[in-house]
Amino acid sequence: MISESENIVFNLSEGEPRFVAQIKELGGEEILECIQCGKCAAVCPMALAGFPIFNKKLIQAIFLGAREALLDDSSIWACQSCNRCTEICPRDVRPFEIILAMRRVAVREFAVPAMSVEGLKSLYDVGHAVYLKDSGQTRQKVGLPEKPPSVIAFPKALKELQAILHQSALWEIGIIPMEGNEMADTCEV
Amino acid sequence: MVSKTGVYVCHCGENIAGSVDVAKVVNYSTTLPGVSVSREYLFMCSDPGQELIRKDIEAGIVDRVVVAACTPRTHEPIFRKALEDAGLNQYLFEMANIRDQDSWAHWGDKEGATQKAQRLIASAVAKANLLQPLQQRYVEVEKSTLVVGAGVSGMFAALDLAGMGYKVWLLDRNPSVGGNMAKLDKTFPTNDCSACILTPVMVQVANHPNIELLTYSEVEAVNGSIGNFNVTVRKKQTYIDWDKCTGCGDCVTACLGKTDNEFNEGLDSRKALYIAFPQAVPKRAVLDQDSCINCAGSHIGKEHKINAKSGEPMLAPCEKVCKTGACDRTLAHDSGGESFDINVGTIIVASGYQAMPKEPFKEYSPDSPNVITCMQLERILSATGPTDGEFHRPSDGQKPKTVAFISCVGSRDKNHHVYCSKVCCMYMLKEARLIKEKYPETEVYIFFIDVRTPGKDFEEYYNYCRELGIKIVRGRVGAVDQLPGDGLRVRAYDVDMDTPVTLEADLVALATAMEPSAGLADLGRKLGITCGSEGFLKEVHTKLYPVETSVKGIYIAGCAQGPKDIPESVSQSRAASSAAAVPLTAGRVPVEPFSSSVDQEKCSGCGICVPLCPYSAISREEIDGKVRAGIEIALCAGCGVCAAACPSLAITLQGFTADQIFAQIDALTSVAGGGPID
Repeated sequence: MISESENIVFNLSEGEPRFVAQIKELGGEEILECIQCGKCAAVCPMALAGFPIFNKKLIQAIFLGAREALLDDSSIWACQSCNRCTEICPRDVRPFEIILAMRRVAVREFAVPAMSVEGLKSLYDVGHAVYLKDSGQTRQKVGLPEKPPSVIAFPKALKELQAILHQSALWEIGIIPMEGNEMADTCEV
Repeated sequence: MVSKTGVYVCHCGENIAGSVDVAKVVNYSTTLPGVSVSREYLFMCSDPGQELIRKDIEAGIVDRVVVAACTPRTHEPIFRKALEDAGLNQYLFEMANIRDQDSWAHWGDKEGATQKAQRLIASAVAKANLLQPLQQRYVEVEKSTLVVGAGVSGMFAALDLAGMGYKVWLLDRNPSVGGNMAKLDKTFPTNDCSACILTPVMVQVANHPNIELLTYSEVEAVNGSIGNFNVTVRKKQTYIDWDKCTGCGDCVTACLGKTDNEFNEGLDSRKALYIAFPQAVPKRAVLDQDSCINCAGSHIGKEHKINAKSGEPMLAPCEKVCKTGACDRTLAHDSGGESFDINVGTIIVASGYQAMPKEPFKEYSPDSPNVITCMQLERILSATGPTDGEFHRPSDGQKPKTVAFISCVGSRDKNHHVYCSKVCCMYMLKEARLIKEKYPETEVYIFFIDVRTPGKDFEEYYNYCRELGIKIVRGRVGAVDQLPGDGLRVRAYDVDMDTPVTLEADLVALATAMEPSAGLADLGRKLGITCGSEGFLKEVHTKLYPVETSVKGIYIAGCAQGPKDIPESVSQSRAASSAAAVPLTAGRVPVEPFSSSVDQEKCSGCGICVPLCPYSAISREEIDGKVRAGIEIALCAGCGVCAAACPSLAITLQGFTADQIFAQIDALTSVAGGGPID
């Protein structure tokens, strides 16, 4: 089953015909080289951990235009970026790039798990995708400065990071509020 | 004279030694009466193995040879040659089959297999001790060949032999040469236009001075053997004088009778009077009497009715328009056609295949006009087809937006054919590609079990098709449902996504299996060739003798032997022509000296043997005033029926004499032959 949605049967006629083209535009150029041999799935931590849609199935689902079913599933966000699939693929499909391309599709549809949005927002606000507000005290207890020597300690660097993010696709998409981006106002995050 | 029989036991690598205690068998052999020496070797048929035999003969130790090994079917000639080379008559040889009939059959029962090997060797030795030298006979070879089937395989076989200077009769039951390939649009993997590469070959066979076409003809009977086959050919009744017919087609236009057009796989109709297809060779009209409606009351072989007003004879439209007089319905045409005999030295069977129809596959809605076979789709895609190459679906002539191909329809299926038809993957990809290239907006799905593309440039072809956006779904289709309107719903299971899927399609193409062409078993019987369990003609040895059959002088080519694509069919047909040319070139062929002879003293002239002989070799003749059986050696095939039937034991089959056979039986059944019989 490709998703937990109500329709067990996938209707190929309702597939998105331009889906493969979109994935190719967003970085999954080699998707049609895939012959579903399954070598990537054999080494994929997502597959081993039991996520329903891992690299091989993702590719077949894209191939058949199962766009909606994929947007309903959060497996792609579980990819650990180990890149082993890309290293071992016998046909240079670069499955990891296809996972990234699918994430780009999902972000554009705001089909992103809340945790991922929080991470993005935190990256924009403080320079870390994961940052524990109360970590300062703990750091001091063990003799470290309250803030680590990263963007968080250098407001100018944070401005630079934000300037970079303003140039990224995140600005257009408006999935997180950004300074001066009106689209962000409509975002419910 | 006491014989000095040598016994040579082969290990056949592990094939025999793995289940027979060879050392024990060798020891046992030395104890048999008449045996002077017994030896073993890993591969007795190899040069060092044969050398063992030759040395013993040359040293005078051995004057009869028994080889206990694989099978005489493939290896008897090899060992006979070794005897000849060592100066011993080649018929002083006997083979004990301890592989096919022993070690393989009793694998895992070493004691039993060893005992049986001993028994088989004892039997062979018993016969060998009584063998007499025989002289090989030769027969002159008729320097001509009959090729049955004028598809691409048959035509190439004919052209090769004709090019070597031999007379070739090229026979086909259809009115035109060309076979199934003439129906194809393009051919993988190069996508050459089928007609463009085939029609020139059709013209070549028609124009070659050494080839005589026998189209619309069938093989009625085959007699004789290699070098001298006598074939009765029946030319079916065309009802049109082909010597006068110019193929202008006026009669076809005028004809009012109609029936399904077999060239277009029943997708449209043809006339009762028809020319097989526009590029037919020979381009001649044929009247299909079953569909003829006898216009103007004009029946074949009857005088025309007279018009009451004008007093003129009433001609049928076909006769009216024929300018050459080729169409004359008043002639007393024999509906059975005409039979005649031809003599040939060799025969090549290239009778091809037929694509399964869709009807047996009830789960795929065969009643829907939009469910078609891939052969029908081939005709739809072809410029010479019912739609002039326009991609229209049968129900309403609309251009399909979504096409689904289903693979392995009737192949790899115990209800139909268990074999893989081998070419369907590629022809489906080809048809899908032709559609996708011409109409890129069409959605094309192919439902596969496995994609099998093992051929030169085939995998590259497959990759290209995927890049074109043809969608490949792994999983056999379970059902095709008819939807309101002309639509179809395909129900399948995507193994890769692990989910059931459905697809609404405008056209469904079934890749139906290639099966033996109708009447192949019957043709095989006439020729004496056996068919395999799957119904195709059987070759002698898959690897080493792929074009030879169990009948010497008869060869097979193309899909008569099993499913093949065009490159493979042509390769095999040219191999067959080469094999068929060997006896023609040699001019004479050796014949086994195993013929029957009559002891005139014992013969009572009862004549029981005369009607029993399947080769009509025996007749009653008067010798010194007494009636006796006489055997024509040239006709005798050595079957032994007469020897077995003779009540006076007057007939002896050389090489299988009564005392030799009784000796064999005694040895097989004696306790000393390797343990008691249960």
